[in-house]
Amino acid sequence: MIEALVLVTALAGFLGLLLRRNLFLKVMALDVMSTGVIGFFVLLAARSGLRTPILDSSTGTASEPAAGYADPVPQAVILTAIVIGFSVQALLLVVITHLAQREPSLQIEALEETAEG
Amino acid sequence: MNGLIISWLLLPFLLAFSSALWPKLGWWMALLCCGATLAVGLALSFDPQPILIQLVGPTGVTLLLDGWIAPFLLLNALVCAAVLLEWGHSHDDPSFCLLVMVLLGSINSALVCHDLISLYVALEVVSLCAFLLIADRHKFRSLWIALRYLLVGSTALLFFLIGCAQVQASHGSFAFEGVSGATTGAQALLLIGLLTKSGLFVSGLWLPRTHAEAPAEVSALLSGVVITAGAAPLVRIGQATPALGSVLLWLGLASAGFAVVFALLETDVKRLLAWSTVSQIGLVVISPVTAGLFALGHGLAKACLFLLTRRCPSRRLESWSEMPLPRSVALPMRLASLSIAGCPLLVGYLAKEQLQQQLAPLPVLLVTLFSVGTAAVYTRLWASPIERLGDQGSAADAGSPAGTPFQWGVALLMVALVLGNGLPLVGNDSTLWLISFKGSSLLKSLGVLLAGWALHSLIQPWRPRIKLPDLEGFDDLIGGMGIMGTALVVILSW
Repeated sequence: MIEALVLVTALAGFLGLLLRRNLFLKVMALDVMSTGVIGFFVLLAARSGLRTPILDSSTGTASEPAAGYADPVPQAVILTAIVIGFSVQALLLVVITHLAQREPSLQIEALEETAEG
Repeated sequence: MNGLIISWLLLPFLLAFSSALWPKLGWWMALLCCGATLAVGLALSFDPQPILIQLVGPTGVTLLLDGWIAPFLLLNALVCAAVLLEWGHSHDDPSFCLLVMVLLGSINSALVCHDLISLYVALEVVSLCAFLLIADRHKFRSLWIALRYLLVGSTALLFFLIGCAQVQASHGSFAFEGVSGATTGAQALLLIGLLTKSGLFVSGLWLPRTHAEAPAEVSALLSGVVITAGAAPLVRIGQATPALGSVLLWLGLASAGFAVVFALLETDVKRLLAWSTVSQIGLVVISPVTAGLFALGHGLAKACLFLLTRRCPSRRLESWSEMPLPRSVALPMRLASLSIAGCPLLVGYLAKEQLQQQLAPLPVLLVTLFSVGTAAVYTRLWASPIERLGDQGSAADAGSPAGTPFQWGVALLMVALVLGNGLPLVGNDSTLWLISFKGSSLLKSLGVLLAGWALHSLIQPWRPRIKLPDLEGFDDLIGGMGIMGTALVVILSW
C-alpha cells in the first residue's frame, strides 16, 4: 500500500514536469519525483526490519536476529542518489536565475520563443 | 592487475583536480589520460580475456573488462584526444581540459562497470560534465539547451533508479544479470533511462537540437562518445537479458529509419549530422556482436565531421554548392562522410558489412534501405566544390578559414578511420573479416552509394516543399519519454 503511494508520488512529479507551464515549477516537480524515488528505496530497505543495521562492537555480531534489521544496501545507494539529485537541482536553479534575467515569466512557451528567435 | 585497472579509472579524476591547481599543465594531463585509455583499449583488443573485479564484496561495485568493450575505450580515447588537439594547448580557458578529463573518466567508468548503481552514478557524472561543456552563461540559447539536456537526462535516470530498486528487490543485487529475472515494469523503466541517455528513437528527440547548438568541439564529444556511455551498457544489459534482445533490434531499426528521414530533409549541416547520429546509434544497438566496431566507425567519422564544421563558412546547406571549401576541410569531410555511408576500405564499411552478417533477412533488407538513405544524406556534404590551389591567396584575404594551422585532431581521426579496419584482425577474427571483403559485398556497397546519390538527386527539388513536424519542444521530449515507457511496458508484457 505505502509502496504504491510512494510510486504515485514519483508519477505525480513526472506529470508535473509534463503539465506545468512554468520552468521553476517543472524543476520543483523533478524534486517531487526524486523524493518519490528516494522514498521507494527507503521503503525497500525497511522490508526486512526497521532497526539500524549496526554491529555490536563487543561481540562483532548483530545482537538481535538478522530479520529485525533494515537492509543497508539500498540505504547506502540512495544516499549517493540524494547527493547527485541535490547537485543537479542546484545547477538547474542557477541556470534558471540566469534565464530569468532575460525572460522573467519563465513560461516554457516564452522561453522557447526567445531561444529560437 | 586490479590495482593497475583501478588507478587507470581514477587517473582522469585525479589529474582533473590537479589541473585546477596547475591550469598550464591541464592540456598535457588530459592527453596523458587519453593515452592511458588508448593503451588499455589496445591491451584489451590484443588479449580479450575477461577481467572481473568485485570491490567491497558481492553487493559492491563490479567492473568487467573484456574484448567487447575495447572498441568503445579506443573510441573514447581517440575522440577526446582529437578534440584536445584541435582545441590547442595555448587556450586561455583551462576549465575545458578539466571537464574533458572528467568526461573521459566517467565514460570509461560507464563502459566498464557491471552493476546498475555504478552505471547510474557514471551516467549522472557524464550528464553533468556534458551540461557544463554545453552551457555558456553569456548566451541565452545555450543555457536553455543545456538546461533541457540536464532536466531530460535527470528525469530519465530517476526512472532508471526505480527500475534498479525493483531489480534489487527481486534479485538481491544490482548486477546486470538480475535484469532478466525482474518484472516487465522494472525492465521498461531501466530501458527508458538508457534509451534516453543514448538518444534512441522517440526518447532521443532531445539530441538534434542539443548536439547542433553546442560548440563544434563539444558536439564532436557528444555525438562521438557521450552517447556510447548509454548505448554500450544498454547493449550489455540486452545481451544478459534475452527478452530485451528483439526489443532492442526493432527499436534500433525504428530509430535508424525515423531519423534518416529527418536528416534527409534537414537544411542545417550540424542538425543533419545530429539527426544522423540518432539514426546510426540505432544501428549500433541492434547487434551486440558488432556494436563496438559500429560505434567506433561512426564515432570517429562523426567527431571528425563536427570538428570540420567549424571551418565551414556557412551552416546552411543550400549555399554549399556556391561555397568552395579549402582542401584541408573538403578532403577529410569527404573521407569521413564516405566512411559513414559505407564505402569500402574505411571502417564504416566493415562495421556495416559485419552487422548484416549477424542479422535475419528482413532486418538486413531494412538496414540496406536505411544505408541508401544515409548515403543520400552524406551526398549533400559533397556539394561544395574544392577550392583550387591558385585561389587560396585571395580566399585568405577575404577572411575565409583557409590558411589555418594543420589540423592534428582531424588527421588523427582520419588515420584511425583507415587503421580501424585491422581491429577485428587483432582479436583473431580473420574469417569474418575476409568474408566482409567478398566481391559481392563490395559491389553491393557501391550499389548502395550509387542508389544514395540517385535518391539525393530525386529528393533535392522537393526538399523545400516538404515540412516535417517539429518534435523537439520541451513538452515533446518529456511526453516522448512517457509514451516510450508505456509502449515498452506493452511490448515487453506481450
